Amino acid sequence: MTASESLALITETMNNNSKEIIRRGGKYFILWGILLTCFSLLVYALWKSTGHAYWNNLWFAMPLVGYPLARMIRSKEEPAMATNAVSRIVSGIWTSFGVFACSVAAFSVLYSFLGNSPLGKIAVGAGLTASIVLLFGLAETISGVALKNWAIKIAGFVTGIGSLAIYYITGANEEQMFIFTLAGIVLAATGFIVKRQNK
Amino acid sequence: MFPKLDPILHSELRLAVISLLAGVESADFTYIKQQTGATAGNLSVQLDKLSAAGYITVEKGFKGKMPRTTCTLTPAGLEAFRKYIDALKEYISH
Repeated sequence: MTASESLALITETMNNNSKEIIRRGGKYFILWGILLTCFSLLVYALWKSTGHAYWNNLWFAMPLVGYPLARMIRSKEEPAMATNAVSRIVSGIWTSFGVFACSVAAFSVLYSFLGNSPLGKIAVGAGLTASIVLLFGLAETISGVALKNWAIKIAGFVTGIGSLAIYYITGANEEQMFIFTLAGIVLAATGFIVKRQNK
Repeated sequence: MFPKLDPILHSELRLAVISLLAGVESADFTYIKQQTGATAGNLSVQLDKLSAAGYITVEKGFKGKMPRTTCTLTPAGLEAFRKYIDALKEYISH
């Protein structure tokens, strides 16, 4: 090998490797995006038809469906795995998002049980939808920063800030579920873009 | 006088393996095989050479019932890779 050929080989290997790791991350964006869209439409339909906001508790079922599916995708990749700092950070960001989102949702449930007690008053201040979409947008934007991908960064801002604006304009009713539908579509679309960019 | 190129790294497959490992924390044998397009036999021989030189560590274990070989670049390997790139730059700039 000449010096130029060696350098070209190094560059090509490193680029392909980096693209492969990012491309794999795209699968999880698509999975959670589709789940978010489906659950938001389901909660909307049940809330609208019955008039009961307690259908929001269905959100707790999303991780119960999503995590086994994510594990299934991961187990298919397992014989050929590679991790780097970026993939570890992105995984950490979304795990943290899951924990924070579940905590916010738990506050909402707490409120429904505790009503006017002091704990209930803390819970109602949490503003379930607004808090979750902000967390979601933040998680997506930071993922974009870690992956050095503008599509993800922009999608994160659009989801977080845009959805928050819609929330305050439309108010707290079943139509706020469309905010999650939008967030899910943006997330899944971002996953498809990431996969295409890194083929 | 040009610096001498490290003969361990100056081989197409070994250089590809080190370049790949330089960008990750660790990688499985199958992942390296997929990314380099090498045959299992050839890759195994080259990994042994890199391991013998102290440039990578090869850990054999199991994930469930499946055997799993994980490779990681050592600090010595990273240093050798850095020196190799510096030497290549010298060759190209003259």
